[in-house]
Amino acid sequence: MLRLLLTRLSSTVIVIFGVISLVFLLIHLVPGDPVDVMLGENAQMADREALREALGLNRPIGQQLITYIGNLLQGDLGQSLHSRTSVSSMILERFPATLQLALVSLLVSCLIAFPLGIVAALNRGKAWDKVAMGVSLLGVSIPNFLLGPMLILLFSLSLGWLPVSGKSGFASMVLPAITLGTALAAVLSRMIRSTLLEVLNEDYIRTARAKGLSYIRVVIFHALPNAMLPIITLLGLQLGVLLGGAVITETVFSWPGIGKLTIDAITKRDYPVVQGCVLLISISYVIVNAFTDIIYGWIDPRIRQGDRS
Amino acid sequence: MLLRPGYILSVFVFLSLTACSDPSSTSIRFALASSPISLDPRYATDAVSSRINRLLYQRLVDFDQKFQVKPALAGWNQLSPKHYRFKLKPVRGYFKNGERLTAYDVKATYDFILENENASPHRSSLLIIDKIIVVDDQIIDFYLKRIDPLFPGYLVIGIVPKNMAADRTTLNRIPAGSGSFSFLEWPDTSRLVLQRKSDKQLVEFIYVHDATVRALKLIRGEVDLLQNDLPRELVQYLGKENNILLKNLPGNNFTYLGFNMEDRLTSQLAIRKAIAHAIDRQSLIRYLMGGKTRLANALLTPEHWAGLKNAKAYSYNPDLSRSMLESLGYTRDKPLLLEYKTSSDPFRVRIATIIQQQLNEVGIKVSLKSFDWGTFYGDIKSGRFQMYSLSWVGIKTPDIFRYVFHSESVPPQGANRGRYINKKADELIEAAETSPDMSARGQYYQDLQEQLLFDLPYIPLWYEEHFVAYRNNISGYSLASDGNYDGLKSVEKLPSP
Repeated sequence: MLRLLLTRLSSTVIVIFGVISLVFLLIHLVPGDPVDVMLGENAQMADREALREALGLNRPIGQQLITYIGNLLQGDLGQSLHSRTSVSSMILERFPATLQLALVSLLVSCLIAFPLGIVAALNRGKAWDKVAMGVSLLGVSIPNFLLGPMLILLFSLSLGWLPVSGKSGFASMVLPAITLGTALAAVLSRMIRSTLLEVLNEDYIRTARAKGLSYIRVVIFHALPNAMLPIITLLGLQLGVLLGGAVITETVFSWPGIGKLTIDAITKRDYPVVQGCVLLISISYVIVNAFTDIIYGWIDPRIRQGDRS
Repeated sequence: MLLRPGYILSVFVFLSLTACSDPSSTSIRFALASSPISLDPRYATDAVSSRINRLLYQRLVDFDQKFQVKPALAGWNQLSPKHYRFKLKPVRGYFKNGERLTAYDVKATYDFILENENASPHRSSLLIIDKIIVVDDQIIDFYLKRIDPLFPGYLVIGIVPKNMAADRTTLNRIPAGSGSFSFLEWPDTSRLVLQRKSDKQLVEFIYVHDATVRALKLIRGEVDLLQNDLPRELVQYLGKENNILLKNLPGNNFTYLGFNMEDRLTSQLAIRKAIAHAIDRQSLIRYLMGGKTRLANALLTPEHWAGLKNAKAYSYNPDLSRSMLESLGYTRDKPLLLEYKTSSDPFRVRIATIIQQQLNEVGIKVSLKSFDWGTFYGDIKSGRFQMYSLSWVGIKTPDIFRYVFHSESVPPQGANRGRYINKKADELIEAAETSPDMSARGQYYQDLQEQLLFDLPYIPLWYEEHFVAYRNNISGYSLASDGNYDGLKSVEKLPSP
């Protein structure tokens, strides 16, 4: 187990290093100069050069990368070129909002997807199956930039129940979480349906039924746990995506998350902020994948035993 | 059981109670399309930061309706062509630390900007200053390296306290000005809270990126005012709401179509004129822009002291445009092919698409390319374009002409992005800059603008209007022609009916 852990950790470090280096090079190679964005065209050459020097942008790109990684190893993500505040504080300011929204959205998606998927699987080919899958198709077809304003019109303007946007208490999280969760639920419910249908045809399900267990009990305690592996994989991937920031939803609901911060930083060519956000997103993926592996072992004894052997 | 209506109602009542965007808040909430970047006036360059800094800091001078420089914090005398003496007014503000603004603060502010290593974006416009000497608490002398009659107009930077002047970072997030408002908190980029000093009224700036959501927040009462940055259809939508009022004002933000004068095709005057006659600016304004948007024929508005009063505009005349193109050998079968670059802003893309269609009507096939701001701006600066559209925002002094049209201002030296080289234009700019007489200087600039209208390095499109939409319990907000937020100094909020 320790060996496995060390192998995973070393490969993770290599992946993160690769991502950081690649993004560092790419963001420096795309056209657009942060000095121009900051100074505008009014500035004279001397001013540009002074700012470039002050920001360390006049040095060769390899040297900048080495300095960046050196600082990173000491826990220093640098300063925003524009606001001159530390990148770590900017990320710390935004990440809790992203994490909150991601977890609540995932919860919403599970609350929608599990009943839909189970109902569809248990009623294969019947009207309920069509209705459930139709709802799921609708969820995946409506883009967030449309669903968000529609929910605002209904729940904020017509009914007056929830705030339009912003992060100002639990109520403000409801609409963005529903917007994100609905799209996730659509994919998830289809996955639940298909894996559950596979499992329901297994011999041990027939055995459980032959033992006299109720159908609902068989589905919940026998079929569903055995169908969970691909579902957990999908949930892990979805959480990874959500932790990287949901740009459109964050924009529509003025949610101060990581996605919007990343996009704004790319637009302004704010290199340290882009780097910090990408680092966070990479680490989020790695952590989520690690957790997914642990949950695999927890729900499937064969994986635990495989590790031991 | 859980789905009983009573439960559902309870949940939503709870959720509503926990919502902090309270429509009945007593603070005045002003929606912004972008968040301020820096609240240190020595570093702020974006429009939102500059407008908020006007509320937080005092400055030496300001501009009147005709964009003539007028005293703000100080009046001045020109003791010699290169020596200006500024005298601070007796009534002036106090900094947060309780100290009154003095000439020493003014010197500390400008010395900081002029220091090369501080890398202030405003340094280049102030390099003309040779030295600054404080005479006493109220009097300060500026000595110039060369004569520049427009000099007082450059002193519009907010004054920071001298004891904080050396600090390059704190003021970005925690401003300390002596203006009409004091800073309370800026917990994150989505919310900035100021307090009006005169009556302790709170003003919150709420950053809402999406235009539709901004409008919806105004309707629901989560914000009280919003200014500009809304598409026309949303403004019309707001206009139909009973509790929303609209106000608009002609602005001076100049939108234009720029050409690359080194390109084989767009360097030809006849092609540029054919394009000018092919664009129906009136229709664009009628269907896309607000009611106070005005056709532009020059960079400065006609009411500007150096503006062109009676310009001979290029009329919309597609037949003339077609015949001009035919005389150049371009026909329906052999159309003129051009590339048009714009930013990825949806509104700018929409304008570009309509211009593309109008040019297509006269036989010019335009390939439209939209890029993110960094890429677009990089291309424009480097001259990698044939045609592009952009706006000049907040232009007040005619020194812009050297910067945009002088042959020595090709990037990176200035903003002559189209590489426009004209000896006569250079001479007119230089003559205006050295003329001691204001009316003669104004005449030179007018002649220059006529020359530019003839040469068409830019096709002037329009001056965008400013508008404000506000709830009916808000009163006393007035718009400014440069779009500043000074109206917040006098705005009042009545309790919601």
